[in-house]
Amino acid sequence: MSIEITLEVNGRTHRARVEPTTTLIEVLRETLGLTGTNKDCGMGICGVCTVLVNGRTASSCILLAVQADGERITTVEGLEQDGHLTPLQESFLRFGAVQCGYCTPGFLMTATALLAEKPRATRPEIVDALRGNICRCTGYKKIVEAVESVVARPS
Amino acid sequence: MTASWKEPDGEKFALGSLAEQAHWQGEYRRILEAARIADGGHPGEAAATVGRRLPRADVLYKVRGRARYVANVPMEGALHCRFVRSPHAHARIMAIDTAAAAKASGVVAVLTGAEIAPERLLVGTLTDDTPVLATDKVRYAGEPVVAIAALTEAEAEAACHLVAVSYQELPMVLTPEAALAPGAAEIDPKGNVIGDLRHEKGDLEAGFGAADVVIENTYRTEPIEHAFLEPPAGLAFVDPDGVLTVMVCTQYPHYHHRQLARVTGLPIERVRVVQTVVGGAFGGKMDNTVECAIALLALKTGRPVRMIYTREEVFVGTTKRHAMTIRYRLGARRDGRITALDAEYLADGGAYRSYSLIVGGRAVIHTGMPYNIPNMRTHYVVTFTNYPPSGAMRSFGVVKLAFAIECMMNELADRLGLNPIALRRINAYADGDRTGTGQTLLDVGYLKTLDAIEPIYAERRRVLEAEPVREGRKRGLGIACLGYGIGYSGTRNPSTARVRAAADGSVTAYCGTPDIGTGSDMSLAQIAAQSSGIGLHRIRVVSGDSTKTDDSGPTSASRTTYFSGNAALIAGQDFKRQFEAALARALALPEDQVRLENDTITARNQCLSFEDACRRIAGEIEGICGYGKFDPDIAVNILTFKGNPYPTYTYATHLVEIEVDEELGQIDVVRCWCAHDAGTVVNPIGAEGQIEGGVAMGMGQALWENVVRKDGVIVNPHYRDYLLPGAKDVPLEIECLWVASKDRTGPYGAKGVAEVSLIPVPAAIAGALTDACGVWPRRLPMAAEYVLRLVRGRDGRPLLARAGAEGRGLR
Repeated sequence: MSIEITLEVNGRTHRARVEPTTTLIEVLRETLGLTGTNKDCGMGICGVCTVLVNGRTASSCILLAVQADGERITTVEGLEQDGHLTPLQESFLRFGAVQCGYCTPGFLMTATALLAEKPRATRPEIVDALRGNICRCTGYKKIVEAVESVVARPS
Repeated sequence: MTASWKEPDGEKFALGSLAEQAHWQGEYRRILEAARIADGGHPGEAAATVGRRLPRADVLYKVRGRARYVANVPMEGALHCRFVRSPHAHARIMAIDTAAAAKASGVVAVLTGAEIAPERLLVGTLTDDTPVLATDKVRYAGEPVVAIAALTEAEAEAACHLVAVSYQELPMVLTPEAALAPGAAEIDPKGNVIGDLRHEKGDLEAGFGAADVVIENTYRTEPIEHAFLEPPAGLAFVDPDGVLTVMVCTQYPHYHHRQLARVTGLPIERVRVVQTVVGGAFGGKMDNTVECAIALLALKTGRPVRMIYTREEVFVGTTKRHAMTIRYRLGARRDGRITALDAEYLADGGAYRSYSLIVGGRAVIHTGMPYNIPNMRTHYVVTFTNYPPSGAMRSFGVVKLAFAIECMMNELADRLGLNPIALRRINAYADGDRTGTGQTLLDVGYLKTLDAIEPIYAERRRVLEAEPVREGRKRGLGIACLGYGIGYSGTRNPSTARVRAAADGSVTAYCGTPDIGTGSDMSLAQIAAQSSGIGLHRIRVVSGDSTKTDDSGPTSASRTTYFSGNAALIAGQDFKRQFEAALARALALPEDQVRLENDTITARNQCLSFEDACRRIAGEIEGICGYGKFDPDIAVNILTFKGNPYPTYTYATHLVEIEVDEELGQIDVVRCWCAHDAGTVVNPIGAEGQIEGGVAMGMGQALWENVVRKDGVIVNPHYRDYLLPGAKDVPLEIECLWVASKDRTGPYGAKGVAEVSLIPVPAAIAGALTDACGVWPRRLPMAAEYVLRLVRGRDGRPLLARAGAEGRGLR
């Protein structure tokens, strides 16, 4: 039994036929070819597969595609605009917040959602927001500093 | 069953159109140059980059979601592979029936070990002892028995359930003690002992005879999962020229290359291993996992085959850090001078050998480090058990030695009423000292790391005593130290590099050691830029492609900056010399009047840009190949362990400040200071990242991480029950203190840093726990229930020993 769904992904509308058990990450990666969102635990724990659904973070490995029907999805590919990195992406690069990079798209999406909601997020708020994303390489310090540097920027 | 597919372009990143590539290269160059200037670099010195804080080229693509981990390599029509794994820890395979699976929907091929010639079946690291697929018996629950390739992952998985394997269970051997017991079931045909290593220095009994104090303790550590976030994965296909190509996330592509040639029977030149972007490794991507099975299936089907482990498979089907029991007996004089150390190790090697002997050799050589102990006896035994193989993991086991020796040092300081830093000073290795193996040490920066930590320790002690702490909580400081050898233990492990340029002025540096996420490609580019005089922005590093680079060993053992950095340095110098000579001939000038410096060429009175110079010698430029090989003379007698096992050693002292909730048994690490003698730091951003990440990983091993095994199975094979440090656990106050140090043999004085950041962390936290609560931890992890048990006085020494006269020790 397949179901037709409509997703707005990174500003473009896509239709897809999915099974009831198809997850959002499967549609993003396999149907739409958006492989920027990586997958790890498949249980919604590690945060690697985090995307934005209507601006809020979601683990795309456990969100069913049908649950996202009609919603607005943002993935890491949708961050850059007109060939320019977002300030957050550039600060991840400048601060060395990335090593192996497998967790990076998830962290970027979580931090993007945080800054949209709280442009002046404090350090404890940043740390709290990032609690659902695991990074095995960096020890988090440079990630927090990278996010903080964008907060500190005068608007 | 035909399917069309296109060979991947081999790029590590989805680069896009030529216009996009040019645009993003420009963006990166702008950001790189801004960072170089911001860090004090001069506008005209594009090649002087060693020591600068510089952003990495690969990260630009990683923040854009363009990194091609194996799962992201575009390859339509690739088959998906899954393993049938053993449910039993130890069993004889009586029969394997794959008939139903072979007929299942979507299944294209089924592979069993019986189809592989016996002389090709076994793979391994030092010893080929591990079947690609088990044939006559299984040695751990999770061992691969059958591989199935199907059109979809779901179909491959479904077909696995249709395979009928009949097993006759054998007695399980679940601990090293059981493996050594008389009459124990035999796991390996050669017996249950993987290694029995011994080393002696001086006269142990005389050493204990001279001691005023003797302390004897037993320490116990549990297995640890690497928990790289990208599971092992590979993509195998036969390219249009008939070359078996395996794209894989690995620390050592040339190892797989040789192994694949042997397992498939193909000539070595018909195999290629391409390292993809690696999503973390930490020692866990140096063994065969998917490679051989997908290669054989690609040859069998004529189609590309991809395999990606699930997270559960990572836990049950890949190597772990060894569980280990360490018994140390330490003797010292009243003045603090250590006179003797008797060390016994019993390690759980799991079902196959993997890197067990390497871990053992490193333990023998590092026993007592970084202290100059005149009399030592070391006995290391590692046995098989029916659990997943124990292998390499960041520090090759030295983290456990540090936990044991540093806890002993704290106890000794307490017993003698000495300051713990003073005690370490008395016994510290210094220049000219000879190690247990008989090696004379040079450029020992250990005391400098103590110097860096001592005033902070004193200041924090004052602050902690002056500031009140919340009720029910205790605070403590702990220090721990290390000395660690760079590179393979006692075996030559050369690295080579090549530097070439094209007529358009683009430059490529080739090196065999892959970048596994640490930024080693960036460090190599910085070193090659500095030694050649070529602007850093021009240099692209190609690493980890087995047909484009020489075998330069793995990226492991903190060796890449030192070994490959030296190779890159020599290759850069060689390129510069050949380039200047060719240009001098073209300009009809004497060779000594042409100089390549700071990305510019000075030729007698004129200046040329690097591009102009390349054009001038367009006919010759591609024939210029700067070559560098670094191969220090190291050797150790494997029976006596005498010799020079490493070309250099790195040293560190860490200080941690913790708070302990005595009601909950919870330890919070509040602050951490990390003083390192890493030699010259090539890129401080990357080096700090290694330290901060090492602190986090060390905290995990210290406080939470434990692969829990019961009755032959791993009971917590997922992140829900295997707890990794998160952003709220790791302190943001981690300070890196690089002591002034230059290694006379390292590239621009560099040593290395990747593993050493982790090594002192559990020991330092243990010391802080003793300081805070007066208890003496002897186990890792120091999980809440263990801490509570200690605090309640049910384990270890009686509570609050320090309240008595002995208590001055840690103050």
